[in-house]
Amino acid sequence: MSGPHQYIALVSSLPNLGKLFSRKGVPISGFRLKQRLSMLEPAHASLLREMVEVTAWAGVAGFDRDIDVIRRANKVLADLQAYPDLQHLLGARMETRTLIAALRRRRDGQENAADIENWGMGRWCAQIKANWSDPAFGLGHFMPWVGEAHRLMQAGDHIAMERLVLTQVFDQLGHYGNLHEFDFEAVAIYVLRWVIVERWSRYDEADARARLATLVAAALAGQTEDGKTNGGRQAGRQDLFSDFTSALEGAPS
Amino acid sequence: MNEFVVALGWFGLFAPVALGAIGSAWGCALGGSAAIGAMLDSDGGYGRFIGVSLMPSSQVIYGIVIMFSLQQPTIDAANGAALFGIGLLSGVTMLFTGIRQGEVLASAIHASKAKPEIFGISLAPAAVLEGFSVFALVFALVLSGSIPA
Repeated sequence: MSGPHQYIALVSSLPNLGKLFSRKGVPISGFRLKQRLSMLEPAHASLLREMVEVTAWAGVAGFDRDIDVIRRANKVLADLQAYPDLQHLLGARMETRTLIAALRRRRDGQENAADIENWGMGRWCAQIKANWSDPAFGLGHFMPWVGEAHRLMQAGDHIAMERLVLTQVFDQLGHYGNLHEFDFEAVAIYVLRWVIVERWSRYDEADARARLATLVAAALAGQTEDGKTNGGRQAGRQDLFSDFTSALEGAPS
Repeated sequence: MNEFVVALGWFGLFAPVALGAIGSAWGCALGGSAAIGAMLDSDGGYGRFIGVSLMPSSQVIYGIVIMFSLQQPTIDAANGAALFGIGLLSGVTMLFTGIRQGEVLASAIHASKAKPEIFGISLAPAAVLEGFSVFALVFALVLSGSIPA
């Protein structure tokens, strides 16, 4: 099997992910997904790996500085030259991430976005810089979720915030997914959506709250136990598509 | 000139079979790929996936029927152009509908895997395409009766 037929078989072999938050687990395990993705052309598999690396938190967590993530994202954008929809998708994803990073930095007391070139990318950098004091950075009229995210972040409702952001990203992927059915783009979008579903499926609200309380207690006590815990989890997280580190747990923005 | 028209006549006579076979092969490959993929993700109902993926095989059968209806005792300057026109255009129809049918069947298999209750209705577009093939077949048969022997 080759060419378009290969992708028809591959896409048809992937189970429907359904709506976000609608199920407890993932419809296909990471192991099985990797098995199915062996049908990808080697060049496509490499591109997909790059995309996952810059979009999934597990991949981003491997970078020490935000500027490194931006450089990497720009390289992946250049590599995706033959796939304009994936380029737009990745660009939109990085813009979403920039907005969340800006919200987080503002919450943490940063007074302006003068250095946004070092931690943000995309169309909204100038807008964010010019409207730093506006709750939605002047983007609330066509991206209402930014204002809502600001409100949730101020309220400290991290789980609702996580839900809002995942919904936003999932819908973004769905928009581009509607443009492709049996091609590499369709597979890439499926994998990126799977990463989100997988992440949410591992997200246990009670466990997350308990862990947050433990981390806060440990930080107050000056312990390093949380570092050990994180390290242990990261070590067990070698799967290419695993991505359940919360966007709000302090990974690079 | 006559030899050229005779050559066109032979071309038109075999075109429905050749182009129909290409359309069927292509369509079945598209549908079959989707069926194979769907079987990886299903615990049953394999037969119906494979069954519908074979739907585009009808195009080559229609092509064979058209070829026999166009067949003449002799192909000459009087009937060569008619054989060429009817044969080629009906063959192109079989080619196009075969490929497109394969595409909509692949979509139907993929969609009905996620939502089994739409399996029947998802085949409607493929059935409509089949109808267009049948139109081409029927009117090729009608016109073949008016070709001078």
